[in-house]
Amino acid sequence: MLGAMRGLVDRGGTEVTAVDEVSFDIPAGEIVGYIGPNGAGKSTTIKMLTGILVPTSGEVSVTGYVPWEQRRQLAQQIGVVFGQRTQLWWDLPLIESLELLRFMYKVPAARFKQRFAMATELLHLEPFLHTPVRQLSLGQRMRGDLAAALLHEPPILYLDEPTIGLDLVAKTRIREFLADLNRSSGVTILLTTHDLADIERLCKRIIVIDHGRIIHDGDLARLRAQFTATRHLTIDFDSTPDPIAQGDRNDLRIVSQDGPRVKVAFDRSIHSAPQVLAIMGGYGTVRDMTIEEPAIEEVISQLYAGSKPTGTGA
Amino acid sequence: MQIFGNFIVNFAEIIVLWSLFQLFEDLGGWSLNEVLFLHGLSMVMFSAGDSIANGVQTVPDLIRDGNFDRILVRPMSAYIQSMVNEVSLRHFGLMGQGLLLLTIGMVTVESTWTVPKLAYMVVVILSGAGLFAALFTVEAILSFWTVNSIEAVNAFTYGGSDLGQYPLHIFHRGMRFVFLFVIPVGFLTYYPSLYFLDKPDPLGLPGFAPFVAPFATFLFCGVVGRGWAFAIRHYRSTGS
Repeated sequence: MLGAMRGLVDRGGTEVTAVDEVSFDIPAGEIVGYIGPNGAGKSTTIKMLTGILVPTSGEVSVTGYVPWEQRRQLAQQIGVVFGQRTQLWWDLPLIESLELLRFMYKVPAARFKQRFAMATELLHLEPFLHTPVRQLSLGQRMRGDLAAALLHEPPILYLDEPTIGLDLVAKTRIREFLADLNRSSGVTILLTTHDLADIERLCKRIIVIDHGRIIHDGDLARLRAQFTATRHLTIDFDSTPDPIAQGDRNDLRIVSQDGPRVKVAFDRSIHSAPQVLAIMGGYGTVRDMTIEEPAIEEVISQLYAGSKPTGTGA
Repeated sequence: MQIFGNFIVNFAEIIVLWSLFQLFEDLGGWSLNEVLFLHGLSMVMFSAGDSIANGVQTVPDLIRDGNFDRILVRPMSAYIQSMVNEVSLRHFGLMGQGLLLLTIGMVTVESTWTVPKLAYMVVVILSGAGLFAALFTVEAILSFWTVNSIEAVNAFTYGGSDLGQYPLHIFHRGMRFVFLFVIPVGFLTYYPSLYFLDKPDPLGLPGFAPFVAPFATFLFCGVVGRGWAFAIRHYRSTGS
């Protein structure tokens, strides 16, 4: 419903294909992470979805609008936050920027009052409403930008690196806000980021793009499963077991043995975690165990490494 | 300060013009007062157009800094948003001077001022402002493709205004053609002035030529408007 893109090609400054055969659909109400290394074509895609860029060929439909044909109608339906660039007026106090946007988006006064009060409360804008935007901290500015993007109640929100440069507390606050927003108002969110914690907190589905092509589109759990067959199981025995010789088993790998704590690696396609636990039970009484999920960073870097640079160059 | 500086420069121009008329009795059959009137008319139009398009002249900066993106994601006309991007008072000096010259000219020339003439003068000034604003917009349009080499267009904006301050028939016919039929400055300054000052047309255009000013602007703005829409569709944005 949000974006149905078919075979998009965009020409950059020197006839470089920035995005090639990128095709996806996003149903209303979903939060989708759109990730990829620098220069992969993330921003180009978002710019085509907002109508900023006109693709050389292909189709895009956002809430029924072709972005570059009906740019201004679409603008009422979307909120945009570019982490690196504010939508606010640098020299104006935040509150005046919001007033100006109210005028541009033709938000009725009563509605504005309500939205403004809500944004002020949820994003804690009160302390810096009257501060010129250029004097705001990055975290404050980002909250201001979010308030600005949501003033006209868009059903769709594009976030291009919304947490870039923020400290952990500010990042967490923004993530919580976005999760709430999606839950309570059903706002569809397309999010690009380099911070995979954003993705883990917010997105069930991720689209990974590299060299202008989609290399993964699906849920995070499946991606993880697909790319990391190996899991680590850490077992705490009641007492230090006899040293486990690696030669004992060739289907498990003993990663480390430190007193009563033993860490083993196993292939998920051969063993399930309970099976491994049962095997390890043969060496002593198990007191506690933890399974480590592979870090998402690891998954993504494997994904990037596996993608071939096709479709670039003219 | 800038207003003061502009004033000095323009004032010096008037002194030069005055000295010129000490050497020659007239300029292609136009008296000093008549040329002053034409100067005033052209200056008022130019400064009004420059003011209107002041924000539009910042489009090259907006594009270079990537800030044009944010204009395009809002539901308001990109042109109007560019227009209000920057408002400046620097044009009021020139505008005041233009009005002063225009008034001096009107009082000293030997033509009678009738209500239709005055009414048409308002139309002509508004049309002229529109034309110059459109000319500045051409600069903005070109900046969508080339950010740095748009100064050539200044030959037509500032050049057009300078040329409009003198009787068109003293120029070479190639110039006359360009400034009538390509960039219709001549139809906004010179031809209406023939009517205001009751002067014959030495170039032999049809009798309605002094009255095409608003239509010339309309046509020119129409073409420029198309150009603007075309430029927006070819906007390339900047990285990230």
